[in-house]
Amino acid sequence: MYIPPFREKWGSRLGVILAVAGSAVGLGNFLRFPVQAAENGGGAFLIPYFISLLLLGVPLMLIEWTLGRYGGIHGYGTAPSIFAVATRNHFLKYFGVIGIIGPTVIFIWYTYVESWLLGFTFHALTGKLMTAAADGSAMNQFLKSYQGLAEGHPFLLTYVFFLVTFFVNFWVIYNGVKGGIEKFSKITMPMLFLLGFIIMARVVTLGAPNAGHPDWNVFNGFGYLWNPDFSRLKDVSVWMAAAGQVFFTLSAGIGMILTYASYLDREDDVVLSSMTSVSLNELTEVIIAGSIIIPAAFVFMGPVGLVDIAQGGAFDLGFVTMPQIFSHMAGGWFFAFTWFLMLFIAGATSSVSMLQPAVAFVDDEFRLGRRKSVLITAVFCFIACHGVVIGLRYGVLDELDFWSGTFFLVVLGTVEAIIFGWVFGIDRAWAEIHHGADIRLPLIFRVVIKYITPTFLVVLLVTWTYKQAIPVLLMEGVPAENFRWVLGTRIVLVSIIISVILLVYWAWRGRPLPDIDIDNTEAEEEKT
Amino acid sequence: MTIGGMVLLALSWGAIIGLAIFCFVTMIRGGKL
Repeated sequence: MYIPPFREKWGSRLGVILAVAGSAVGLGNFLRFPVQAAENGGGAFLIPYFISLLLLGVPLMLIEWTLGRYGGIHGYGTAPSIFAVATRNHFLKYFGVIGIIGPTVIFIWYTYVESWLLGFTFHALTGKLMTAAADGSAMNQFLKSYQGLAEGHPFLLTYVFFLVTFFVNFWVIYNGVKGGIEKFSKITMPMLFLLGFIIMARVVTLGAPNAGHPDWNVFNGFGYLWNPDFSRLKDVSVWMAAAGQVFFTLSAGIGMILTYASYLDREDDVVLSSMTSVSLNELTEVIIAGSIIIPAAFVFMGPVGLVDIAQGGAFDLGFVTMPQIFSHMAGGWFFAFTWFLMLFIAGATSSVSMLQPAVAFVDDEFRLGRRKSVLITAVFCFIACHGVVIGLRYGVLDELDFWSGTFFLVVLGTVEAIIFGWVFGIDRAWAEIHHGADIRLPLIFRVVIKYITPTFLVVLLVTWTYKQAIPVLLMEGVPAENFRWVLGTRIVLVSIIISVILLVYWAWRGRPLPDIDIDNTEAEEEKT
Repeated sequence: MTIGGMVLLALSWGAIIGLAIFCFVTMIRGGKL
């Protein structure tokens, strides 16, 4: 008979909500959302955005929270075993390997970008950042030299910031769910909101600083983001962009929330907790982030300059444009410091959550204990991260970003939605969602979870496979000098997938499924 | 900023803040925070 191992539990409900919100709130909230909204119909973008949130984001959050808690009470915290236990089907667990590989691979490139934010926070204090920012084109050069792609910045310092960032992430995980992740989230999330509100308050009170252009004011800056262009709603790509933004912003469908929720108690309320974490994520994205980049860029660069900036992409906007904007403000170094510290915190609360599935997998399946599991994961990630550090100039980071941050996300989300609504069964799913819940969801969500969310995800998966994955798979547009690196990255990724499949097979060899299905009675009651 | 923009901003912010308040108040009243 299989005896589930002892598993840690969260210390408080607020702690788990902040941890999940921290996982969801990342760089995409601050950099990606405002650009997507401004480019896709302004205020009108919010219509498909909120529809996608209701039909895709909220159901996926509920699915991950519920399946995670269900797996946790059976002693499992990662997608392969949770799928096996929930469906009582051994084959389906192999689809769950994405729920371990996806977050870990994201961590491998994300933590390096996160370390740049720490470096830029430091350089905001030394004055180097503001000197570069004040000199127009020098800011691009500063970023490239920081990344080691041009002369001018000691790469050793860049590497030290990477080591510090890497160490901080593993230190948090090493201290466990309650003593590490929960404590870290309870300190950093309020800090993140405070820093966000400081910058937001500064931007809102900018007025019209350019005397030659009184119409370049904050009010019109907000108008640039919010004035609706309803004609764009006829464009399918606007709806796809909104669905994509909702998908990426919540971190749902990649296995991180699944693992976090596995540390809940059986009686913990997943409905209210997931809704609260969604509301905190949206508060950060729509209210705080929406009030910073676009209005600030509009005020200092005008509507024409803003179009050029938006076309440069979200990444340049955060690292290059924002320091340039701060350099126009009195005390600009302070706001640049606040900006990069806030982004670093947003990145750190997300990257910590990316590590937990791999650590939980080693710990739950092989019973090596948390500390050994953390050390094994750290050694693997440390070696893998160097592929990104060394191969940055050859497109390794972009390659990993696409497969882990886009493709794996949509694939696992689709698998989860189908398993939950159809294999686990909507009656059991509905009963399991509401077990211990203080509020009941409207009945329409039964239909949404069973029919609409899986259909929505299959459409997204097919569209993205056709539009993005096939051209990427065929390496269209990959420069000749990057070809070997990109191919090498794919070979490593495939090797990792095969290795994890074998590990899952090894872990489950001869292991029976848990004897008792705790939910049948409740599901029957729910049906009657 | 047009009237339409202001309406959409107010509705979006209101919905998000309303949801957050509802969630936290319900949790506090249930004594489960």
